[in-house]
Amino acid sequence: MPLKKTAKHITEILDNASIAALSESELNEVRAHALECGSCRSAYEAARLSAVVLKSRAHVVVEPSPFFQTRVMAALREQRETESVPAFARLWKSAKVLVSSMALTTAALGVLSFALPATTPDEQALSAYSAESVIMGQTADDQLSYEQVLSTIYEDDDDAR
Amino acid sequence: MDLDLARQAQVGDESAFAEIVRRYSPRVFSVASRFFRQRSLVEEAAQEVFLKAYTQLGSFEGRGSLEGWLTRIATNTCLNMVRGAKRRPEFTVSDLTDDEASWLDHQSAGDGEAPSVENELVASDLADRVLSVLSPEDQQALLMIDGEDASIKEVAEATGWSESKVKVRAFRARKKVREAMEKLLGHAIKKDSQAHH
Repeated sequence: MPLKKTAKHITEILDNASIAALSESELNEVRAHALECGSCRSAYEAARLSAVVLKSRAHVVVEPSPFFQTRVMAALREQRETESVPAFARLWKSAKVLVSSMALTTAALGVLSFALPATTPDEQALSAYSAESVIMGQTADDQLSYEQVLSTIYEDDDDAR
Repeated sequence: MDLDLARQAQVGDESAFAEIVRRYSPRVFSVASRFFRQRSLVEEAAQEVFLKAYTQLGSFEGRGSLEGWLTRIATNTCLNMVRGAKRRPEFTVSDLTDDEASWLDHQSAGDGEAPSVENELVASDLADRVLSVLSPEDQQALLMIDGEDASIKEVAEATGWSESKVKVRAFRARKKVREAMEKLLGHAIKKDSQAHH
């Protein structure tokens, strides 16, 4: 039975196996078709070059360095040491700076709250008023009238002159 | 022999594990070299493979070879590393170097240059360029079959995929690589004709 020589058939042959693995009859079929068909010619050329570059790429192999075995064994010991330390100890190792600084801050706040003497009522009286206490504590008598405010301002101006 | 070595290493015999590393590091490096070209990355991957192998020694039952077992660990470890990498190079034709364009031009004209270290490097760079259109899994399948002449069965054993999956991956990968190479050839020819004018 004659083989179908369509472009699809040719590219299927090319994609089915590497050029190097094609049989002689398959290669002849592809080459014969490529002589007449431009797109199959470029497909064949591309497949041929792909096979060449892949072979070259496969030859690029990094060899182990003489120190590789030592390096792996050192990494292995380190890994075993890490695994032998209990989970809490590992957690403490990574979090000890944070926990220590938090403990110090708490201790400092404790000292400030309990160790320092409390303020006396007199000291409280001398301490600054909050805006709220001034407003809420004001009586009608404490408030200056509009005229009093104006006269105070003009008195200051007169003094300046 | 392999099983004895694995059992000794499993119970903490360091020299037995060191022997495993010495004996099979060329094989592990060869697998890692399919995925990476930079020595530091290949070494990092290989070390990861042996550390992983050490923790899984108990699962090695000696049915297959230790080399096959390590190859599988190496393949999966490298695939995970490549998948986890932030960026993979994109396939581009515009930044084809003069050396690459010249190599393609000569090969296409049928006057293949004499094999040399430089030409092999240019060809490998071109391979990386066309392989970048593939997923890491497809790259792996194609490099093993077309690059290293591995059989479908060998790829299936190394990866743990079914043979039909390997065939499908290889077919799809070959087609994509061929199409990428056609684009590169077209660009190289254009670049060459511009240089001659």
